[in-house]
Amino acid sequence: MSHVLLLEPNTLLAKVYTQALEHAGHSVAHVAAAQEAVNSADKRAPDVVIVELQLPHHSGLEFLHEFRSYAEWLNTPVVVNTSLLAAQLPLAIEPLMRDLGVREILYKPRTSLQDLVRVAREYVAPA
Amino acid sequence: MDASDATDGVKADSLLLSVAEHLKVPLTTIARQAELGQLTGQVELTDAAAIRTQAAAALTLVDSYLLGLELMRSQTSLQLEPVSVSSVLMDTAHELDRFARQYQVELEVAVGGRFGPVMSNPRGLRAALLSLGFALVEAQATQEQKVPRRVVMAIHRTPSGIVTGMYGQYEELSADRWKAALGLVGKAKQPIKSLVAGSGAGLFVADTILRSMDTRLRVGRYLHQSGLAATLQPSRQLSFV
Repeated sequence: MSHVLLLEPNTLLAKVYTQALEHAGHSVAHVAAAQEAVNSADKRAPDVVIVELQLPHHSGLEFLHEFRSYAEWLNTPVVVNTSLLAAQLPLAIEPLMRDLGVREILYKPRTSLQDLVRVAREYVAPA
Repeated sequence: MDASDATDGVKADSLLLSVAEHLKVPLTTIARQAELGQLTGQVELTDAAAIRTQAAAALTLVDSYLLGLELMRSQTSLQLEPVSVSSVLMDTAHELDRFARQYQVELEVAVGGRFGPVMSNPRGLRAALLSLGFALVEAQATQEQKVPRRVVMAIHRTPSGIVTGMYGQYEELSADRWKAALGLVGKAKQPIKSLVAGSGAGLFVADTILRSMDTRLRVGRYLHQSGLAATLQPSRQLSFV
């Protein structure tokens, strides 16, 4: 069973995402803030990380810089799932994907649960 | 208008911007909860689909509003490029279709002939047509009539350019009423109540976005039906003989 680290500040939405991902056969660790995400990854290495960029305290971007600074998490697939439009992203899409290893950027209002599940499945390394 | 009025206006815009950004979250949550209900069989399929469609329509309006506001505030124009207007119209029709069916409104696409590319902005054109479409479908559903209710999404050529718009049996829509409505936005609760029951926000958002692409919404007619349409200029590119 693959393990998804879900960094989502809205608990209602996180609950829905968690249920959908679990329904698709993944285990999910939901956290609402960047530091919790680092702690969670330390406890159990995720196979894929789904992250919102707008977070309380530290931003999703800060989390990604921190996350990528550890060798063991350098190649873990990361997907951004955000309410920010492409034009509002704190970094242009290209450096975000190149420098921080973001595999895909999803616009949350237009991303169905089926899309999210598909993405999680796509980037999880085969067992 | 004095300086403090202008400052109040900017503050009001900023507040509305925050509200619009914030609305994305509950609307997304509603849409995804309905989808989860569908996936797990906890919610009646038709109910879930209706909830998702309504939430998606609201999210589209919010996005279009944000785009319109951003363009107004920055006083910038969208960058124009050659765009296949037929393709954008078909895309829009695909997205509107589920919404229209909820209101028992038939959506008809009338793209007769080849029109070639027009100078527009694909993101802006799509956002404008979607906003217009959601508003006119709702308007059609409230007209006293007439079965079947129908909205025609059409493209046709005129001497002044390629006209793309949406038309239906909107008996009381006229150029004068539309002009008056534009002057009443933000002042009246129902700027164009002969057409839509509510604020008609989608119409004005569409007009705002179109203005940033050097065009605007005007009242037009297509095959004995009236509606709102924009004239786009053909791109002088390669063309097939």
